[in-house]
Amino acid sequence: MPDDTFMGVKRERIPWFPTIDYSKCDFCMECDKFCPHRVFEHRESGPKLVVANPNNCVVFCRACSKTCGPDAISFPGKPDILALIKRVREEG
Amino acid sequence: MNAKHAILPCNGLDKNVGQLARELALKLAAEAEGEIICPVLLNTAPSRYERVTAEMPLLVIDGCPTRCATKLANRLGLRIDEKVLVTDEAKEAGVTVEEGLTLGPIGLALVARLAADVMAETGPSVTQESSADFETPVEFITVTHDKYIFKIPAEGFHFNENDCWARVIGDRARVGVSDYVQQSMTDITFFEPPKLGAQISQFDDVGSIESAKAVMDAISPVSGKVVAVNDELVDRPEMINEDPYGKGWIAELELGDFESDKELLLTAEGYSPIVKKKAAEAQH
Repeated sequence: MPDDTFMGVKRERIPWFPTIDYSKCDFCMECDKFCPHRVFEHRESGPKLVVANPNNCVVFCRACSKTCGPDAISFPGKPDILALIKRVREEG
Repeated sequence: MNAKHAILPCNGLDKNVGQLARELALKLAAEAEGEIICPVLLNTAPSRYERVTAEMPLLVIDGCPTRCATKLANRLGLRIDEKVLVTDEAKEAGVTVEEGLTLGPIGLALVARLAADVMAETGPSVTQESSADFETPVEFITVTHDKYIFKIPAEGFHFNENDCWARVIGDRARVGVSDYVQQSMTDITFFEPPKLGAQISQFDDVGSIESAKAVMDAISPVSGKVVAVNDELVDRPEMINEDPYGKGWIAELELGDFESDKELLLTAEGYSPIVKKKAAEAQH
């Protein structure tokens, strides 16, 4: 979806997506089962779960992290992302 | 907790927070005369607890965000009246409970405080009277996708791209979720209000809702202080399905800087293509 935007800003310019802490993740896949936007994907080799489609992630949504038993999912700070969005919008 | 509750803990035997959930259930059963529901037996033989769940309000205690107890209750169609999530409570209290399966002093102190909190709760928090006249809107524009029709109030509402609305009257705004949210989540079974008095930045979480399908944080379109929450939703979360723009409001905020917030919000006309796009994507 190359023309995808959020609040008028190209989605790919907004670094909002989950980061998996592999030292905590137990690969229960609850986050993947939960997320309807296919942000996560399974892998045969290496870590069994990866953030494959970060730009599918809904900006400001952190719902997957709330399904995570071992608290292995983190997101950037909202104020930083908001400041970036405002800056890019002003640039036009 | 002003009535005897049925208490459903996750009972997680292999995690420290699961052990704390179990300990909290035992403590409440002993001190508040609650009746414990064993999640394993409930799963195997739900009829064993039919009487208890029919007669008593249900308190669900989850250890970690996997929320096994909540999911079990949802799967069996049980109505949840109160919930505790131990990891959230620990985070909020700023404590790190001991690793391992033997309860330590930090964990036990947390359980004691949570038990006292639960027992001290005597129903909904006090809601300040709303000063403004927020009526259910009557004029809508609609977005149609296949058999679905999504309503968007034609005027007076501001939307963000997270499907939440704000309706501003004077220096107050009510916030809630859109018709698109309630239709895509299907039956909303649980509402957690934001804290009264909390200072909210624009796009901060302002409460959350749950259905069998999903959990969603409401993302506030406006900044400000929470001056009222819709306590009726705690008992009747389905009001969000019935009237998302009226009786299903979530919270009322005393506005911080609406002129600035507004620059990032959409009118009904601006929001409708977003609903159309999301509805189309959701099908695939």
